[in-house]
Amino acid sequence: MNDNKSDASGQKLSEAEPMNDLRLGAARKRLAESRGQEDAIEGVREIVANFLGSEEIGLFRVDRRTATLHVFWSFGIDPKKYDLVRALGDAGLQRVMRGECHVDLAARDCSGAMAKVQAFVPIRWANQTIAILAILRLLPQKLAFDRSDMELFKLLSDEAAKPLFGPSVHSKLATEGRGMRA
Amino acid sequence: MSKKILVVDDSRTALMMEREILEKSTKYQCVTATDGREAVEKAQQEHPDLVLMDVVMPRMNGFEACKMMRQQPSTREIPIVLVTTRGEESYMEAGFQSGCNDYITKPIDGAELVALVQSYLGE
Repeated sequence: MNDNKSDASGQKLSEAEPMNDLRLGAARKRLAESRGQEDAIEGVREIVANFLGSEEIGLFRVDRRTATLHVFWSFGIDPKKYDLVRALGDAGLQRVMRGECHVDLAARDCSGAMAKVQAFVPIRWANQTIAILAILRLLPQKLAFDRSDMELFKLLSDEAAKPLFGPSVHSKLATEGRGMRA
Repeated sequence: MSKKILVVDDSRTALMMEREILEKSTKYQCVTATDGREAVEKAQQEHPDLVLMDVVMPRMNGFEACKMMRQQPSTREIPIVLVTTRGEESYMEAGFQSGCNDYITKPIDGAELVALVQSYLGE
């Protein structure tokens, strides 16, 4: 039992771990309380912006029948100019399709600007990757993804599919959006 | 009587998180608003001890709300901490000109938020 956790008497939280638990709890609650698909998309945007520190996001649907990826929704990027397959590379794409997150870790270039800090999170349903959440370019004050961010990626991977898509819309949504060779 | 914080954000996720952090880590009580206009009204009704407010919001943004609170006698002295995704000096200069006391950048670090709020309100 963690003595730092708050209880009904208002005992204080003081360590990073309970703060992370609060963050995961808030993200889980936000996804579960989504009121329909649009609200779920907004929830994912809020989670990524507020907890992960990025305002450049793309959500891509996987169409296994045609082996293609389709832009389903994006924020802060031009989806017509963004090539997910190229950004991921073959190995990265295979990893994400297997259900693992693919993270390009932080690096600063000589000007101090962040370069190539991005994460690709498989959105899983029934043991399959049905979509990929691309989290691109961190805010300047966010230096890198950390261990607690990995836990949030896992939560998104495991729990975002239902509010985002729901079982009844899988086949319909697979045909929407711009085609992209996987 | 516990001190009161007005937490303002149009994002349900951010509002939930900030409220959870403050209420579970401190003895402060939180009230909430989801845009700048509602924040100005709530500040007048609730007389919070501190306002923690997002900048980018619909209807009225955080800078405008901050200015309005500074113009009202009943809210003029309340410490205001802005929450922003942009921490650049030029951007936050606009925040200080609107009358805010401090700012914190997203993604929010829970411990940093608690320490900042406690620096104004005490433990």
